[in-house]
Amino acid sequence: MFRSRMATFGVAALVLTACGGGNTAAPQKKTELTLYNDKGAWTKFFDEMGALSKQSIGLGMKPTGYTDSAQYQAFIKASFRTNVKPDLFTWQTGGMLEEIVKQKQVADTTAVWQEAIKAGDLLQDLAPYYTIGGKQYCVPMNVAYWGMFYNKKIFDKYGLKPPQTWDDLIKAADTLKQNGVKAFYHTSVLFSFVWFEQLMAGTDPDLYDRLSTGKAKYTDPGVVQVMEKWKQLIDAGYFINPGDKTDPGDVLKNGKAAMVSFGTWFNTSMTQRDMKPGTDYDFFVIPNVNASLPKTSMIFESGPLCSLTKAADPDASMKYLKWWTTAEAQEKWASSRGDVSANPKVTIKDEALGAVTKDAGSGKYRLVNRYFEATPPAILTAALDGFSKFVTEPGTYKEVLDTIQKSADEYWSTHQ
Amino acid sequence: MLGRFRHGYVAPAAILVALLLYAPFVWTAYLSLTRYDGLEPPVWVGLANFGKLFSDPALLTSTRNTLIWVAGTMVLPVGLGLLVAVLSYDIKGGAWYRVPFMLPYALSGAGLAMVWSPVLSHDGIANLLLGVDTAFLQEAPHNTLAMLLVWTWQQLGVNTLLFVVGLQSIPKEPIEAARLDGASGWRLFRHVIWPLMRPLTAVVVGLALVASLKTFDIVWVLTQGGPGRNSETLAVTMYKETFVASEYGYGSAVAVLLTVVTGLASYLYLRRQVR
Amino acid sequence: MIRRAVLIVLGLIWLGPTYLLLVNASRPATSYDPASAWVPSGDFALLENFGHAVEGANLGGSLASSALYSVVSPLLGVIIGALAGYTIVVLRLRHGFWWFLLIFGGTVFPSQMMLVPLFVSYSDAGLYDTHLGLILIYTAINVPLAAFVLRNFYSGVAFSIFEAARMDGASTWRIFWRIYLPMSVSALTAVFILEFTFIWNDLVFGLTLTQTENVRPVMTAIAGLMTDVYAGTPVPVGLAAGLVVSLPTVVLFLATQRLFARGLSLGSV
Repeated sequence: MFRSRMATFGVAALVLTACGGGNTAAPQKKTELTLYNDKGAWTKFFDEMGALSKQSIGLGMKPTGYTDSAQYQAFIKASFRTNVKPDLFTWQTGGMLEEIVKQKQVADTTAVWQEAIKAGDLLQDLAPYYTIGGKQYCVPMNVAYWGMFYNKKIFDKYGLKPPQTWDDLIKAADTLKQNGVKAFYHTSVLFSFVWFEQLMAGTDPDLYDRLSTGKAKYTDPGVVQVMEKWKQLIDAGYFINPGDKTDPGDVLKNGKAAMVSFGTWFNTSMTQRDMKPGTDYDFFVIPNVNASLPKTSMIFESGPLCSLTKAADPDASMKYLKWWTTAEAQEKWASSRGDVSANPKVTIKDEALGAVTKDAGSGKYRLVNRYFEATPPAILTAALDGFSKFVTEPGTYKEVLDTIQKSADEYWSTHQ
Repeated sequence: MLGRFRHGYVAPAAILVALLLYAPFVWTAYLSLTRYDGLEPPVWVGLANFGKLFSDPALLTSTRNTLIWVAGTMVLPVGLGLLVAVLSYDIKGGAWYRVPFMLPYALSGAGLAMVWSPVLSHDGIANLLLGVDTAFLQEAPHNTLAMLLVWTWQQLGVNTLLFVVGLQSIPKEPIEAARLDGASGWRLFRHVIWPLMRPLTAVVVGLALVASLKTFDIVWVLTQGGPGRNSETLAVTMYKETFVASEYGYGSAVAVLLTVVTGLASYLYLRRQVR
Repeated sequence: MIRRAVLIVLGLIWLGPTYLLLVNASRPATSYDPASAWVPSGDFALLENFGHAVEGANLGGSLASSALYSVVSPLLGVIIGALAGYTIVVLRLRHGFWWFLLIFGGTVFPSQMMLVPLFVSYSDAGLYDTHLGLILIYTAINVPLAAFVLRNFYSGVAFSIFEAARMDGASTWRIFWRIYLPMSVSALTAVFILEFTFIWNDLVFGLTLTQTENVRPVMTAIAGLMTDVYAGTPVPVGLAAGLVVSLPTVVLFLATQRLFARGLSLGSV
């Protein structure tokens, strides 16, 4: 069959001396692993982890960071066909993980999970995101809970408190509006999905789940209502202009908007700007739109750290994944970035985030998989475009839903 | 005698280009005839991707924007670049007048976005200077025009540099002869200098033609083709379909279309200018 | 006079965004407010910001690699391209136009689509994560541009120069090396500048074809800080990183100014 190796032909002929591709020797024993990731900005933190692991389990690690996750994913997929195999790599949960597990590429981590759950290093609640066909794959590289970061000084100035109900939230937005302050941040680039998933999850989380598996349509009345609700909020003037290109960290810091919804990793943006939790800013869980839901829905994001069945040294890779879940590793990983951890034993320095993690661990929330991971790439691409159009021209919501559904129809017609 | 090494001299260039630039495209061309997600073996679908492509309304937007980029590039970075070159090439210290235009070229794409975001942002510096309340990167087609201005800011210096090389390579004799005949100023430029600098003008226009048809980086860092695909170029559509949506086959079809269009345009241009 | 005035006005417009870059890259990281981005800050924190950006990153190896790629590849590319241009125009290679078209055709392919096939073939050929691999691809990308510029540059040169040298018994190679190359220094330099900048700022090939710190170009280490929302990088820090890594290119511009300073003696102004 025609193979991707076509070009090899050329390159190999060009460099006759280059030793050909026969690096398929017996498994080596590795003392340093490479960790491919699409979080190029975290290189410093990965390096620190590498130094720590070398110390404690005698296994070093060097990161290879990418900056564009789409390109990164293409690269990892292509690497399966070559002899350049990452020892460890970051990935996405949801369909993306399922896809590469189906290819029998990803090493089974069921044993690691069982042990970690028994030792209290991982929560049973997390397992479903990592379970495919009854087995676990990869371990959580990071976790993040989504909620609302708010400018504490603005809240204090207008006597506002973190809202307990959706009505409270809207009341707060109204108070801000009367005082000429924009309540919410949103954008038309990349994170255009944030308010959609939040409103969906807070209105009908089951519908949200069905939507991401192709069992519901974007044109269903429930989805249309959510878009109408979103449009109402925009029309009411609560949002800043989506064409505002200010970094969201600066939006919140300078009070351009009083509230910014992001995952807990946004905390890094705050600390990098010398913002003090509790005095300059704080965090609350966004209340459900539909007050009758039994649990508050919380958007949840987790990025897996995986290894391959055909890794150069599968044992070393597995050993590393196991170490990664331990409290020692996670303490370092969370504290260096000022973020939360998948390990419930880790104490989170930031009070508000610590509380959220603890509550989430005790089952207080209904965790909803982030739209980015929950939606297959082809539909996601159309949806991100659609939502970015919608935030710019809210009147187009019906057309936007039709367009997204069109690509959903096309996708689901060839997948299952 | 003379010809013995001729092919030997052109061979290194031809081989490098063929093996490293042409060969990878064979794979893309093949993928354009398949359905492929980067993992499972490609499934042969014949011309289906092209059928879908030509009935895709997004293709119309991408093509329109790409054409704006091509036309705009000829007028702004190329036209203004020529102006700066002509104004500065023969005055004392002319090279120093060109420094402000060269500096932006040193900046990487990510840096470019960071510099211009506060300018083009809603509520940004451009709003303030112009006294209008427009989100410059939001509505089509003026988001493409805004990006074209950013592009001009970055690229003008290089075009100027190439034009200056062209101006410097002009032999003195014909100009002095024309001078003796009483030509000066605009007439001298139009009838003597301009025809003589044609070889390098052809280079600048040829390169700008290819680069503008493939416009990607600046759009990707500033708007990612949005909002709602309204600032997508053909190259952005190709990238999104291939890498973001994992529709390698469809993305490759866009790539093939883009390559054919770029190749054809360069051929038609070069045939007239270079042969 | 009018010419200078137009140049100065245009130049000042061009310096506006450059000014923004300088002012905000030098601002203390925590005091950035886009609403007053054009107001200079009293404190000069450029170096501090840059230090903050590269904290912990091992830039030494990457800097050396980037320097290697951005000097060697354009040099090779310029010579190979110039030789091709010379052969086509001066030696009047048969079917020269088609050879030229073949070489220039290398520019029409969208580079993003080359990444996956190049990665796969590089890993098969043992070129992945090697200096040689990157030098090869960067050189290949440079060749069409150099060939185009030099081909056209030489086409403007009187053929009598070549004939005279042949009469003196010089070989075609010697004529290229001793007469045509030196004659085209300004064109070669212009191409070199273009290529140097392209390679120095390149991300796509640097990211996809390398892995270890010592082989990766420096941009791959910097770019994430500037674009990744997960990094939470304050704007002044990102700008400082962008500014400092642009310095080698700026130095190259300034150092080569002299070559483009010789105007024609048209006796104006």
